Amino acid sequence: MSPRRAASGGRIDRARTIRFTFDGQAYTGHAGDTLASALLANGVTLFGRSFKYHRPRGVLTAGIDEPNALVTILAGDVREPNIPATMVEIYDGLSAVSQNRFPSLGFDIGAVNQLGGKLISAGFYYKTFMGPVVGPLKGTRFWMFCEHFIRRAAGLGSAGHAADNARYGKMNAFCDVLVVGAGPAGLSAAKAAAAGGGRVVLADLDAQMGGSTQWSGETIDGKPAAEWAQALADELAATPNVRILPRTTVWGYYDNNTLAALERVADHKLTPARGEPRHRHWIIRAGSVVLATGAFERPLVFRGNDRPGVMLASAAERYANEFGVLPGENIAVFTNNDSAYRAAAALKQAGASVAAIVDIRPDVSVAARELAAQAGAELLLGYAVVGTEGGKGLSNIKVRRFDNAGTLSGEPRIIAADCLAMSGGWSPVVHLASQAGGKPVWDAERQAFLPPSPTQNWIGAGAFAGAADTETAIAEGRKAGEKAAGEKASRAKAVKVFAPALDPNPAPYREVRADGKAFVDFQHDVTAEDVRLARREGFLSVEHLKRYTTLGMATDQGKTSNVPGLAIMAEARGLSIPEVGTTRFRPPFSAVSLGALAGERYGELRPDRLTPMHDWHVEQGARMYAAGLWFRPQIYGHPGETVEQAYVREAKAVREGVGMVDVSTLGKIAVQGPDAAEFLDRVYTNMFSTLAVGKARYGLMLREDGIAYDDGTTWRLGEQEFLMTTTTANAGKVMQQLEYYLDIVWPELRVHLTSVTDQWAGAAIAGPKSRDVLAACVTGTKVDNEALPFMGIVHGEIDGVPVMICRLSFSGEMAYEVYCGAGYGLHVWEALMEAGEPFGIVPYGMEALGTLRIEKGHVTGTEIDGRTTARDLYLDWMLSKKKPFAGSALMDREGLLSPNRLKLAGVVSLDGRALNGGAHVVTGGSLDEPGEDIGHITAVCYSPALGKYIGLAMVRGGKERIGQRAYYCDPVRKRFGPVEIASHHFYDPEGSRMHG
Amino acid sequence: MLITCPYCGPRDLAEFTYQGDANRVRPDPASTDHEAWYDYVYQRANPVGDHKEYWQHSGGCRSHIVVVRNTMTHAVGSVGFAREHEERKSAARHKSGEKA
Amino acid sequence: MVEPLSPLAPVWKPGSHGNFVDGVGVVLSETRPGSIVEAAAWHGAEKKLMAAIRKATGLSLPDGAGAGAYADGRGAFGIAPGRFLLADQAEGLAERLSAAVAADTGTVTDLSHGRTAIRVAGPKAEWLLSKFFAIDFALPAFPVGSGLATVHHDIFAQIQRTGENAFDLYVFRSFARSFWTMLGHGAEEAGYEVR
Repeated sequence: MSPRRAASGGRIDRARTIRFTFDGQAYTGHAGDTLASALLANGVTLFGRSFKYHRPRGVLTAGIDEPNALVTILAGDVREPNIPATMVEIYDGLSAVSQNRFPSLGFDIGAVNQLGGKLISAGFYYKTFMGPVVGPLKGTRFWMFCEHFIRRAAGLGSAGHAADNARYGKMNAFCDVLVVGAGPAGLSAAKAAAAGGGRVVLADLDAQMGGSTQWSGETIDGKPAAEWAQALADELAATPNVRILPRTTVWGYYDNNTLAALERVADHKLTPARGEPRHRHWIIRAGSVVLATGAFERPLVFRGNDRPGVMLASAAERYANEFGVLPGENIAVFTNNDSAYRAAAALKQAGASVAAIVDIRPDVSVAARELAAQAGAELLLGYAVVGTEGGKGLSNIKVRRFDNAGTLSGEPRIIAADCLAMSGGWSPVVHLASQAGGKPVWDAERQAFLPPSPTQNWIGAGAFAGAADTETAIAEGRKAGEKAAGEKASRAKAVKVFAPALDPNPAPYREVRADGKAFVDFQHDVTAEDVRLARREGFLSVEHLKRYTTLGMATDQGKTSNVPGLAIMAEARGLSIPEVGTTRFRPPFSAVSLGALAGERYGELRPDRLTPMHDWHVEQGARMYAAGLWFRPQIYGHPGETVEQAYVREAKAVREGVGMVDVSTLGKIAVQGPDAAEFLDRVYTNMFSTLAVGKARYGLMLREDGIAYDDGTTWRLGEQEFLMTTTTANAGKVMQQLEYYLDIVWPELRVHLTSVTDQWAGAAIAGPKSRDVLAACVTGTKVDNEALPFMGIVHGEIDGVPVMICRLSFSGEMAYEVYCGAGYGLHVWEALMEAGEPFGIVPYGMEALGTLRIEKGHVTGTEIDGRTTARDLYLDWMLSKKKPFAGSALMDREGLLSPNRLKLAGVVSLDGRALNGGAHVVTGGSLDEPGEDIGHITAVCYSPALGKYIGLAMVRGGKERIGQRAYYCDPVRKRFGPVEIASHHFYDPEGSRMHG
Repeated sequence: MLITCPYCGPRDLAEFTYQGDANRVRPDPASTDHEAWYDYVYQRANPVGDHKEYWQHSGGCRSHIVVVRNTMTHAVGSVGFAREHEERKSAARHKSGEKA
Repeated sequence: MVEPLSPLAPVWKPGSHGNFVDGVGVVLSETRPGSIVEAAAWHGAEKKLMAAIRKATGLSLPDGAGAGAYADGRGAFGIAPGRFLLADQAEGLAERLSAAVAADTGTVTDLSHGRTAIRVAGPKAEWLLSKFFAIDFALPAFPVGSGLATVHHDIFAQIQRTGENAFDLYVFRSFARSFWTMLGHGAEEAGYEVR
């Protein structure tokens, strides 16, 4: 027989039929079903194949702790693997497939791995991939080759290649009290905490609030538990200071009471609502936290405990009570504690027959005996299940007598059963408390790790804290809620729960030793024997055990396997469980989608930073490229032009006529105050206090260690007011460094800094005709050499817009930078283009800008690269001897003065081929056997002024090598050829063109 | 990790930039004592426990602050404006200089 | 007079967007103040600067970090110790304030072009902003008139609460278009209107 839907019962909506597919086969279920419950209701017992051995697996649990029934959900071409079928709410159109099987779930070739089980025991990878020490297969190379095939055979589901188009979101939340878990304790805690008026967030991983009330069959305050919970949840939903987060797993507990949660907003729908994310990543900062996360039932460890049809007793109870599904027709129970008796009675009441209750213990409580009688089950006390039989589903169990010493005796008895409900006791879900800090504490009576004393501001309640029954859980929850909200304990009347008086303490046995595989960690196929093997091989510490065997790793996080694994290790070492200890649980508690962590940041990931003229560049056909976050024109290519043709044309236009480039991205910092000039003297290598108002000066900054840092011009706009410009790339860092100096090094200076990068649009207009263009459009000031000499500043207007013009040159031509309010940037740019039209003005991009500066030997970030000094760059003339400045002491260190340092030089290609940046400069040899390495090329271009391919380089000796023959060598791009080392001042070394 | 900015209040770590050890002392700007500069630029203690360090609230008020952080637990012991801290430090230096 | 161009121009699409079937949760708009100004006091001269601000704007700034005031399209709030951000629908505030702030009181910097002012309003305004900023936007924690400085990854923002359900955000102009697009994206599930 197989599982089926009971004739009645469950909290599903039987009036609503839902259609879905599993492995391509169509099924139906009801609203309120999970994929697991719906498949069971359809008689499906086989859900997947196991990780290493490809053993057939069914469903072990009914919740987040499911290690076996992991499926892949399909949404078009997008695959999401490793989702517990127990956590998938079915919807019309849901399509799921099983995992780790080939060609099909029923017939799986990989199952041969079971035969070689001894070969792939614990530590398999570590042992296998060591490789021989000698011989042709020496080292790990051969095994690296094999690994690909082995990994294909062992594993979980595979991710797809299609891009995930789903939307993900992020949310920050602040609250006074966060309640994790909405079972009886959590609901009570939320209600108590909310009464104080503070902000309360209540999160539960299920769609329905209520936790165990959904299936416990208990009566609370005279109502069925589920109804009591529903009423309370409704009341909380109507409370304005309470936010309820269903389908939300709190998965991380971080410093300062910051918790991370994953809300599965739209996983239960075929298509999300407009704009709705599929998942939402919550970052919750809570004043205090009530942990009411409940407890996980543990499996018992015996031969064949992974056969489909064997499941946790609480899962069987939950399928019957919550989903109206009988997990079998003829059910056996195997337990070491009382809780499974309630499951037995529930299964009987739902319509199954209970063949036997096999209990390790010689005697049980009165309440348990009553439940056994209700279940109509044969009670086998002092017995244990020693094996299971069946094909892909359970048909029989074998039992033998089991005494207090763990010894088996007597002939095995065979009992027919199509489902075995097992219980090895309960483990409080202490994961979050462990993450928060503190080691869980072993409780010998309860045979479980109870939460540690809080190291952060949290309070535990309910089964999490070891509460023995629902009445205690509710009372504790209320107390915890009051305490978390900082209220005094109220004297509200205790809630009465009608439930059997079961003994909460299990027997301290959880393993029945016999030959054959008895699983501890179902998800990773770790057996009891693997744990013992790890001990024999010296992996004694639980942390080593975990990593060596993979017990409790990954998404499972030891939910069902932690305690059984530790207990077996303890026994093997002859120690007690607390002596062996437990591993620290790590976030995430359960799998978290990467999309949710990325939140709204996806695709390009970074915001685009745009200049005021950006749209104009794009309209003019500029090819834009990213410079940090900024977008800048690379070239304004004409149809059919190569990049080189375009920049050569643009650079030539500047040398011969006039061109214009957008320099709005330069960092700009307003430096103001009575000590502004003094401050600049301290941070720049050269003097600024001597700079006249209305003049600009080129400045160089060093780091404290004497290495060159950044350069730019600084304009004196007033006695106490400067406008500093920095390179585009270093704008943010320079600002921070200057703020550091003012806050920490010289707090006595009265200087204010403000970033004004975005306040100003900037256009550099360059070329012999640049002055003519300005003269044609600037009003309110003259722009001739007298009014506006080199490094002079004037204020005027262009087409009604106030502008500030500084005459300075990066290109080596006569040039001006025109600044105006950013909102006017496009207007002024277009006015300049119009005024320049009669002079043949062209816009130019970064490639042409680079070409012009290489021809002039001006340095940028490729030369000021964090390794070079001012002297390396022949900027000695900027190092003032009249004053100390940042970096002035350490720049004179012996190593930085060595004649062997790489210094700036030019290189000219001698074979007429283009050079490339990053290539080495060598003294001779060939590509395969290059000669002495004397430096590297930093920047390259075709120089229209020289008619040659040229570059800047950092070479040993620098200028001393001028005229020498060397070679560029780029082993990566397989390029090698002759160059001549030249002065880096390729073009107009006297600077007559820009001064003219 | 949260840092309580003395101006903005508690903010996420992501809003702050680490700006180095707050125990170091910058030599007099005119000093050419390479040893002293070397210590200032490169030498750092690596203490277990409380560590005094500079942070900038770069994603907020942009103030530099002095944070005492436990290197084992990340617990923040105290926070104050760096400016005030440096002014006190320099006042203390002046005072001891007068005595000497 | 030439009208300054908004960086949002190509992406500013008035009307209702997203999931507005059940009403609009968020209203996004660009307030386009004529003046945005930063004023900073020398240490010890904070009160003098606040008096100068009152003289130039009529706004009385309460004491305390982030304290501010907003009335009649004029806003001012603390963004750092001794530093304030001011906005006025009228132009010329930088000049008026410069005249009122003596050199030994502090400095004034015109940022009218450098910052873009975006208003996020509506019943879901807090919800939307919480997607981006790790800031407690609840009214008791962030009262009307007050302001703060914070960051969403690379995007630095100074925010003033100008109403129970209204926030004015000042972001760097070069980031404004990206940020506006993100706001619209984030507001889709709540339904939003651009006006």
